[in-house]
Amino acid sequence: MSVRNVDVRGRKVTIAEAGDGAPLVYLHGFADVHGVAGDLLPFHQRLAQHARIIAPAHPGCNGSDELESSTIDDVIFRYLELFDAELLPRFDLIGHCAGGWIAAELAVRHPERVARLTLIGACGLFVPGEPIGDVFMHAQPERGTDLRSLRALLFAEPDGALAKRWFPDGRGDLDEEVRRYQMLRFGSFMGFKPPYFYHRELRERLYRASMPSLVIWGEHDRMVLPAHGAAYGDGMSGATGLEVIGGAGHAVHLEQADRVADLIAEFHDQYPNEHAGTPFKETAQA
Amino acid sequence: MNNPVQLYCWHFMAYPLLPADFDETYDTGWVTVPNSLWDKDKSRGLYQQYIDQLAYSDELGFDGMVLNEHHQNIYGLMPSPNLIAAALTQRTKRGKIVILGNLLPLHLNPLRVAEEYAMLDNMSDGRLIAGFAPGSGPETFNYNVPSAGTRSQFWEAVDFIQRAWTDSGPFTHEGRHYPMRYVNPWPQPTQKPHPPIWIPGSRSRDTLVEIAKRGYCYFLSSRSHGNETARSQQMFSKILEEHGDRYQPSRMGILMSAYVADTDAQAQAEAKEGVWYFLKNCLKGHLRREGRQLTFGPGIPYIPPEEFRNFLKFSDPTTPLLGDAESFDDLQQSASIVVGSAETVYRRIMDILTRSKVGNLLIQFHLGNMQDALTRKSMHLFATEVAPRLREDSARLFAREFSESAHAPEMAT
Repeated sequence: MSVRNVDVRGRKVTIAEAGDGAPLVYLHGFADVHGVAGDLLPFHQRLAQHARIIAPAHPGCNGSDELESSTIDDVIFRYLELFDAELLPRFDLIGHCAGGWIAAELAVRHPERVARLTLIGACGLFVPGEPIGDVFMHAQPERGTDLRSLRALLFAEPDGALAKRWFPDGRGDLDEEVRRYQMLRFGSFMGFKPPYFYHRELRERLYRASMPSLVIWGEHDRMVLPAHGAAYGDGMSGATGLEVIGGAGHAVHLEQADRVADLIAEFHDQYPNEHAGTPFKETAQA
Repeated sequence: MNNPVQLYCWHFMAYPLLPADFDETYDTGWVTVPNSLWDKDKSRGLYQQYIDQLAYSDELGFDGMVLNEHHQNIYGLMPSPNLIAAALTQRTKRGKIVILGNLLPLHLNPLRVAEEYAMLDNMSDGRLIAGFAPGSGPETFNYNVPSAGTRSQFWEAVDFIQRAWTDSGPFTHEGRHYPMRYVNPWPQPTQKPHPPIWIPGSRSRDTLVEIAKRGYCYFLSSRSHGNETARSQQMFSKILEEHGDRYQPSRMGILMSAYVADTDAQAQAEAKEGVWYFLKNCLKGHLRREGRQLTFGPGIPYIPPEEFRNFLKFSDPTTPLLGDAESFDDLQQSASIVVGSAETVYRRIMDILTRSKVGNLLIQFHLGNMQDALTRKSMHLFATEVAPRLREDSARLFAREFSESAHAPEMAT
């Protein structure tokens, strides 16, 4: 396992990396690597048993340079530059939360580069009557130090040890506080224009995601409600299923790391990478 | 002889009709405070009362009146300060009209602000002081203004407006945020080269540098005036020197609140209700530990991460804020709300001036639900018994401290 900085056209990108094998790009959210942790978490280490996991930190997060402008279009373009620089013409892709949004955008814009797609509690869609939670409001502590409502947004059990480990009340570890701040700042750049972490046009573009695509959601996801998982499952032409995990919240892959890693491993076994290159629908019918 | 301290009357226009159990029942006075609490009958005449108080300050000889912009809260009922300013142009003849300021990123286009301010400068015969602010926490929630990234948008808008007032139109503005093919506002402002420009800022060095680059005035938007205010003045002074400029008291302003009566005891007795309505209700969601602060914090990530790291390092989240004050003794420490006899108020303000050397005092007289008669009585006592001494002594103080630069040319601001 290593953390390294790469220079992409004069801009620093911090990448956490582990494992050997087929490249698997992991795009993070608020509650996992780069958003709260400086390095890979147990979930990612499980994935690294079967693949070479490459987890870049979003612009401005955990060592990566900030962009002057970070609309979703800018972010997508920067990732394409990174994949070019890292010689990754085609790879498996997993995204969580805001990272899931970026992954979905990459999949509909450049389906030829994404072999297999997994979305975990991904934002990005506008679903009427099912608004994405206001992470900015909840990130403002109550009574100066109380982050319970933010934990409730991100975890099924807001008072559980895991939630309190990454979002403690009071003044926590300085580096972790700054890491969370950087992720919120990235979210403010990207998620606000249009507001609330969605891109209204994305839903009607989802049909272009024709690669095998697995959607994983926490039953108690209060940040991105499960209706969004259903919408991704309905919209992506390559979707193979929607797995709703009981007892888990938005950070389902932290809360039930083994379960989620197993689901992804099964999914990858079921749809081997050699199908890559042909549109998935044709493969499935063959 | 240097100019004396300039004394302005600031009115926030708070909503004064909240139920007595507001603090126990509602967790904030900002953004989400339910507007079903607005009393359509009892609020009739409210704006008139507030405008009359501002007009009264002009009669009393204050140097100007201060307005600012707030949305969706009980702290300030001025979503559009320009409307109140327009009314004041017709009610007053003498004092400056300070708008501190229009929140530029909330406007589709800064041209509109350049136009409205130019109208106000004409309508007031050159009495406008033009403030510009980027907005902060509440605006990210109220108006979908992204907090990160707003700064570059804000400064482009400021520069655009100044140019719209000074360069001959029509011209083309090739901005990143506001590209404009035809910039040609009619009318042009009355004041030449343009109305003085004030920018509120906290203690962010970046903001002070931008202010210094442009020769503007800095308004410290803090409600506490302990040692930090003097430190801000010193930092601003140093940054001005780095930009080949020199600090003058007229370059900086601060906000404070005052209540004056015949004796300290009487002042405290009379001010108590309004002051604690203001502290408990108006500051809930802003400067209180109770509830959720919506004006600063990690969910409003407009300052660069390194500045946020420093904020974390040097602040204690358990320290009480201004609105947590339980007694007049607590209030005394923040040196922000000064309540007492004319002698007490004079002494305590002179103490702030001596330490911080700011030349503009923006004073809030109406606090929370303070009654009209008490507000006016306090303003009158301040104008007749405090202001003359402050003017005389501050002119002497500033002459002593800034004597070499007494003959420096007046800044364009």
